[in-house]
Amino acid sequence: MHRLIKILRRFEGGVGVLAFIFIALGLYGGLIASPPDYYQGEVVRIMYIHVPFAKGALLAYTTLFIGSVFYLWKRDPVVDNFCHAAAGIGVFMTAVALLTGSIWAKPTWNTWWTWDPRLVSFAILLLILIGYLMLRTLVEDKQKEAVYGAVLAIIGFVDLPIVYFSVEWWRSLHQPMSISTRGVSIAPGMLTPLLLMSIGISFLFTYMVMIRTQMLYLRHLLGAKRGGLISEVDLS
Amino acid sequence: MPFFNVIKWIVWKDILCEMRNRENIASIFFFALNVILIFSFSFAMDRDVTQAIIPGLIWVSFGFASMLGLGKSFLSETYNDCLSYLQMAPVPKGAIYLGKLLGNLLVMVVVELFLVPLFIIFFNLNILDKLLPFLLILIFATLGICAVGTLFSALTVQTRAREVLFPLLLLPLEAPVFISAIEATAGAFRGDPIALYQHWIELLMIFDLVFIIVSYWMFEFILDA
Amino acid sequence: MMTLRGMKLTHLYRYHKVLSEVSLELGPGECFALFGPNGAGKTTLIKILSTLLQPTHGSIEIMGKNSREHRMEARRFLFLIGHGTFHYDDLTVLENLEFAMALRGITPSYSALMGVLDRVGIGPFALQKSRYLSTGMQKRLALAKALLAKPNLLLLDEPYVSLDEKGMKMMNDCIREFLSKGTSVLMSSHDRAKASEVSNRAGILQNKGLREVPLGELTNALF
Repeated sequence: MHRLIKILRRFEGGVGVLAFIFIALGLYGGLIASPPDYYQGEVVRIMYIHVPFAKGALLAYTTLFIGSVFYLWKRDPVVDNFCHAAAGIGVFMTAVALLTGSIWAKPTWNTWWTWDPRLVSFAILLLILIGYLMLRTLVEDKQKEAVYGAVLAIIGFVDLPIVYFSVEWWRSLHQPMSISTRGVSIAPGMLTPLLLMSIGISFLFTYMVMIRTQMLYLRHLLGAKRGGLISEVDLS
Repeated sequence: MPFFNVIKWIVWKDILCEMRNRENIASIFFFALNVILIFSFSFAMDRDVTQAIIPGLIWVSFGFASMLGLGKSFLSETYNDCLSYLQMAPVPKGAIYLGKLLGNLLVMVVVELFLVPLFIIFFNLNILDKLLPFLLILIFATLGICAVGTLFSALTVQTRAREVLFPLLLLPLEAPVFISAIEATAGAFRGDPIALYQHWIELLMIFDLVFIIVSYWMFEFILDA
Repeated sequence: MMTLRGMKLTHLYRYHKVLSEVSLELGPGECFALFGPNGAGKTTLIKILSTLLQPTHGSIEIMGKNSREHRMEARRFLFLIGHGTFHYDDLTVLENLEFAMALRGITPSYSALMGVLDRVGIGPFALQKSRYLSTGMQKRLALAKALLAKPNLLLLDEPYVSLDEKGMKMMNDCIREFLSKGTSVLMSSHDRAKASEVSNRAGILQNKGLREVPLGELTNALF
């Protein structure tokens, strides 16, 4: 069995358990034990979902970048499966972050959307990740699919900070500073569950990527076995 | 120098093919023309409104045009397996990228320069004295679109849904170019002193530099996948 | 120095093995004819030898240059006439030839270009757009490119396809000319008769492996 797959199988259980524990503690702390916000009331509790998932999305994006660079260097097919998995989970996390962000914005700022640099960057990140998955689906040559995806991931990673800054400048010209996503002052009782949830979601991301990488690996193995009745499968 | 020779020959080949088979440049031009016409119907000739949105309209139509034109820039290489010959050529692959980039830039700038008078006519613009800064913005922004667009054309041209995939991949990444181009154009058309909007032009230049370098580097991986 | 050394070439398409430890050496002036059933991997092997594809394991040396470490130098020595013609439909025959040579750093004179076009029999079509050439004429143009490129290693993927009798004779004459100048030639073909006229070595690609066979025993080996 492939070296990396062996490592994933050994640790997946532990990571899963850690994710469960941290998320359980974080949810309890966030939804039940912590105080409501002075200004926002109970609505602030959605922060315990929104912020960790946003961090998870950025983790996915960074993982995809590092994995892509590593793939272009070493061309290990399991690393490619890892990148593909990270992008897929990234779409999930980014979508949840955007959705919860929007739901949080409506009662607090009275708008579903605003041209805040972080929101726009996340929306573009979602589009880049979806584009990545679509590119990989539509490229016909399976060998090229991995390289093309890696190139797209690298270009996207370089671009996102530039997107952030350009929207920041634009916003400073056109919108008064009354609305700010940095507006939530964190009371001490909120910090702990937020931290717990952030760590928990990061573990959840890791766990989901480990599982999905193995799924993709097995799918390719199956395709290989099916593809040639007399083919040998190389598992080095 | 062999490096610059390669760039020269690729530009020569692309321009020659483009001139002989004018379907690409014609389709870009007429598509953008259509967009301009539709815009001019949709917005009542309220002069203040027009002045406010004209920079956006210009860059939207240029953006649509580039989606059409750039996506096809590697199409000619897919016929007869020409891409494999480029791959096997004992030349630095980055030179091929730069040649393609230059060819695309020339085509796009030519189309845009034909469209600008149409904008002036249809929307009654009073910008003849502001054309010089606008030209500067036009070139840097178009370079930014072409830099990533040329690379993505190579990525998407062999896929099944290239017409859909190319704009889907390119547009989100070009957001800084469009924001900067629209803001700078708005400043130029208002007659602001250049100091007020020069940081947008600088952002365009940084974008161009960063992405020409990154795409130059990544192109080798695409061609030798 | 051996023109071509392919060492233990193994190629996996994803995890599916297509070639298994294929080794091959070609010296100057040698012509190797590659036979094998459809789907055996002949085109894959030629793609690997022409550096279009990187083998999963194994390595190739062309004129001593490793194709992974010195890819550009290795490519300078080889030329491929494959299934695709590499012509641009909107360029004329002459322009196609000029462009193809420019990408190899060669700028032949007009007379050299016309000379080689006459040699392959498409001189009268020099100013025609290659879009209007028949398949056979396009193959001749591909051969013209090879003649000007003067490679040390010439790879031919089914060179006789779409050529008429005169064309096939011309192809073999050109191959002999290449061989006499020290070029090594490797061709894959289904045409045993034509290939045997010019080859001095032969092999069969079957079951992911390459088996070299003396020319005399070729008929028995193939059936």
